[in-house]
Amino acid sequence: MRIKTLAITAMAVLAFAAPATAGAQTLIGSGSVAAQPVLQALFKAYEKQNKGIHFTYTPDGGNAGIKDVQTGTSQFAGQARTPLPSDAGTTYIKLYLDGLCMDVNPANKIKNISIESLHNIYRGIETNWSQVGGSNLTTTIDPVGRDTNGGTYTFFLQAVLNNELPASNVNALTADGLVVNAVKQDPNAIGYAGLAWQKKGITPVKVNGIACEAKNVSVEPLKYPLSRYIFLVLPTENASPAVQKFATWARSNAEAGEIINKAGGVAAFNKKAKK
Amino acid sequence: MEEDFQPEYGPKWSDQRVERLLGALVLGVVALLLALIVVVFVHGWPSFSHNGLAWFGPGGNVEEELAQISQSAETGAGYIYTFHAWPLIWSTILIAGGSVVLGLIAALFISVFLVEFAPSWMRAILTPVVRFLASIPSVIYGLLGVLVLVPFIGNHLISEHQKASVAGIISLTGYSLMAAIVVLTIMIAPLMVSIFTDALNSVKPGWLEGSLALGVNRWRTIWKIGVRAARPAIVAGTVLALARAIGESVMLAMLSGSTAFAPNPIDGLIFIFEPSRPLAPTIVKSSDQLSSPPASATLFAIASFLLFSAAVFSLIGWLTRRSMNKYLAR
Repeated sequence: MRIKTLAITAMAVLAFAAPATAGAQTLIGSGSVAAQPVLQALFKAYEKQNKGIHFTYTPDGGNAGIKDVQTGTSQFAGQARTPLPSDAGTTYIKLYLDGLCMDVNPANKIKNISIESLHNIYRGIETNWSQVGGSNLTTTIDPVGRDTNGGTYTFFLQAVLNNELPASNVNALTADGLVVNAVKQDPNAIGYAGLAWQKKGITPVKVNGIACEAKNVSVEPLKYPLSRYIFLVLPTENASPAVQKFATWARSNAEAGEIINKAGGVAAFNKKAKK
Repeated sequence: MEEDFQPEYGPKWSDQRVERLLGALVLGVVALLLALIVVVFVHGWPSFSHNGLAWFGPGGNVEEELAQISQSAETGAGYIYTFHAWPLIWSTILIAGGSVVLGLIAALFISVFLVEFAPSWMRAILTPVVRFLASIPSVIYGLLGVLVLVPFIGNHLISEHQKASVAGIISLTGYSLMAAIVVLTIMIAPLMVSIFTDALNSVKPGWLEGSLALGVNRWRTIWKIGVRAARPAIVAGTVLALARAIGESVMLAMLSGSTAFAPNPIDGLIFIFEPSRPLAPTIVKSSDQLSSPPASATLFAIASFLLFSAAVFSLIGWLTRRSMNKYLAR
């Protein structure tokens, strides 16, 4: 009797679970936190157009996402830095452009900061806002950054720190949202986050005199110094055709370009929408 | 085995079935545990064997050591294993130890109050509340800490003078020993309270009544008889809380500050505002380096150290409980 009940229950559970899998295809991704807002917007639009395709994306950091692709845990990864030798077996596809903005608390009136100053702050050489110049504060700087899981961390290392490690006084947080939150709550803080994260409560600062705005973000010719491509990373062999189709759509479709721009990225390759 | 006696649903067979099934389950769990310990130690062994006892010692910058270890897999010039874990171990001792001591004191008084002095309506409300608090996922405490406690400490308790005095070495932003210990205490105290109240409730009523009948007041009775009789359970609860404190990773990764710095009590009051990073969050934060063999060995070495200390503490707890059991007339 009890075995019968058990079997019926099991079948009922399966029956409930079945519609979710029947005919549908789930594409599994992970990686960059910086790319998350734009990717989620793209996923949503793509899912609406292609019934039966479903995305899951775990924002565990770009560097962690690459490992997921290498081990086969993920079918694709979002990545915010250029390829490194350790990324063997993966193919990088440029998806769109992003600017890494340097953010301070609104209480800080600093307008412009040079790459050299940034280097000195994150290497622990300049520790007081009075040393930086242009700020109304005379307090100790609280530099905030990402932990090593983040592709954003590696990009910052390459673009600002000449691949030197950040100083021990840099507080390394586990997600871009936590960096933004830390800057929002601490008048002395400075942190970095992508264009898509620029919201109320933090002030982006000009870097080398150029504002962190979508119109200045480009890699060739380089205007805003912390411009970067956001990549979609696929395994070099046996990449999922569905993911490749999505990548092509996201790179070229005019509507996808608008979605990228609206979500905080800068469309680089998409056709212009007809006006 | 008797061939002729096989009742279809007889008590004998169903008993044997249950016995064997449960026995197999227990054996399976033990085998799984042994396999886990062996795997973790085998993976971590290269890190221990290259460093020897210096693994546990101070010296060098943990951050730079970890970076060198994980990069050495790509250079082709041989793996580097040099690692000195003392700042991480010291941070674990301070945070876990501090919160268990605070939690023990708080939980002891709260449970004495709940069992002996609280009016029954209050007990009826507080007991389920404490049990609920003990089961809240740690990441929620972490979020509350990030949004409330850390900014409060950073903006109101730490002075500019204190920040300037350590500028360039560490940042005093509120991500600190204090934030970690306070939140961890709030996390583990309910666990201790629920174990302690159960123990105090199960003290034989006759012992307490005998003491009261002799004219001893209620406070002295519960303290000298109740708490003393419940000591084995108090030790057990404390060991359980300590294990949770040592193993806590997500909340501490969010609150303790991520710098592998060894806070120094000689620095004075500023010491409790200093950031540090315990062992468990280090594994979480470096998990992207697992594909580099030497880094993976280092992380597994940290894991086996955590496993080892958890085992030692439960052994100590067991020995203490055994030596105390003579107070219990069971």
